[in-house]
Amino acid sequence: MKEKLEEIEELVNEIEVDILKLQSLFSNFLKKHLKGLIIENYIGEYPTFMEPVILGEKVKIGDDVLIGPYVYIGDNSEIGNYAELSNTIIFDNVRVGTNIKLDNCIVTKNCKLNFNNSNIKNCILKGIANSEKEVLKIYF
Amino acid sequence: MPNKKEKVITRIQELESINLAREEDRDLVVQTKKEVEKDNELLALQINQELRKNNIKSIDVVGAIGAGKTAILEKIVEIIASKYRILVICGDITTRVDADRIQSHNAETIQINTGRECALNAYHIYQIIKNKDLKNYDLIFIENVGNLICPSDFILGTDKRIIIVSITEGEWVIEKHPMLFKMSQIAVINKIDLAKRLGTNVEKMIDDAKKINPNIEVITTSAKTGENITKLIEKLEL
Repeated sequence: MKEKLEEIEELVNEIEVDILKLQSLFSNFLKKHLKGLIIENYIGEYPTFMEPVILGEKVKIGDDVLIGPYVYIGDNSEIGNYAELSNTIIFDNVRVGTNIKLDNCIVTKNCKLNFNNSNIKNCILKGIANSEKEVLKIYF
Repeated sequence: MPNKKEKVITRIQELESINLAREEDRDLVVQTKKEVEKDNELLALQINQELRKNNIKSIDVVGAIGAGKTAILEKIVEIIASKYRILVICGDITTRVDADRIQSHNAETIQINTGRECALNAYHIYQIIKNKDLKNYDLIFIENVGNLICPSDFILGTDKRIIIVSITEGEWVIEKHPMLFKMSQIAVINKIDLAKRLGTNVEKMIDDAKKINPNIEVITTSAKTGENITKLIEKLEL
């Protein structure tokens, strides 16, 4: 699984992302490599998980959060209160603000979504943003 | 300026008459509740249409913690797994214990950990089925979170709902939880093998279920000995 994730991470970090290749790798990772419920080491108070969900180390999860199905969250990432995540890969050290809904997204390493109340679909998210306008979005 | 203690006392006096919502917020509270119910029903209808379109039979299993929902599903799945391609969606507050038990009898399982929510709702089920290739299944069971109260607020779009109680919960368990019996087509009274030892009045339980819902079919079972499991499968038309 790690190898597949590295492959996706490498691809999303390229200056010009090969969207067709990404779509195929992303869908293959979510549907074939992401399995079960690996959630042992999160920090938070019992969010809702719909498997498959795999969490890395020290993932912080806020109140009333809904995670899944088909979600991977990397080490040290932080998910704000009332967030909803499905069909999404979040890499390490990411921050997702309060009441943000992500579906079919890839959030790159160290990305900070420091804003609240958004519904974002079908894109790669990059950068440190204090409003939705500031996020670099690449639709796929 | 009133001090903090006086403010708290005033608020408590207000709460005595308003039942947790200020006059100006009451309409919003009622409206929101209605909309949540309506949206859940809409999604449930959509789920039912999708499942029927794909010729999938669907059954929602509700009941109290420890009534034997998982044990009965294990027995059913064990018997019919060669006949159907089965998906079992298991709702629990935490863990994958029930899903692992059922999966060992050759059914695919999906676990939903509801965390602090006391029942599955149609949105949970919709999220699962929209991400699945429904052509791969003939039958879906949904094992709800162990609870005799909250699941009555949320229909899930299945063809049938069965409610499972056990005689160890006491002979009053049915009359004390009427709503889910009203909403179910089949009532299962489980752990019948313990009836004599516990001296439970099983007839009263059957009568209570029939009084609440005259159309409900009541069946006594023992998941432990397998008593009446085949009969239950027949009643489920499987």
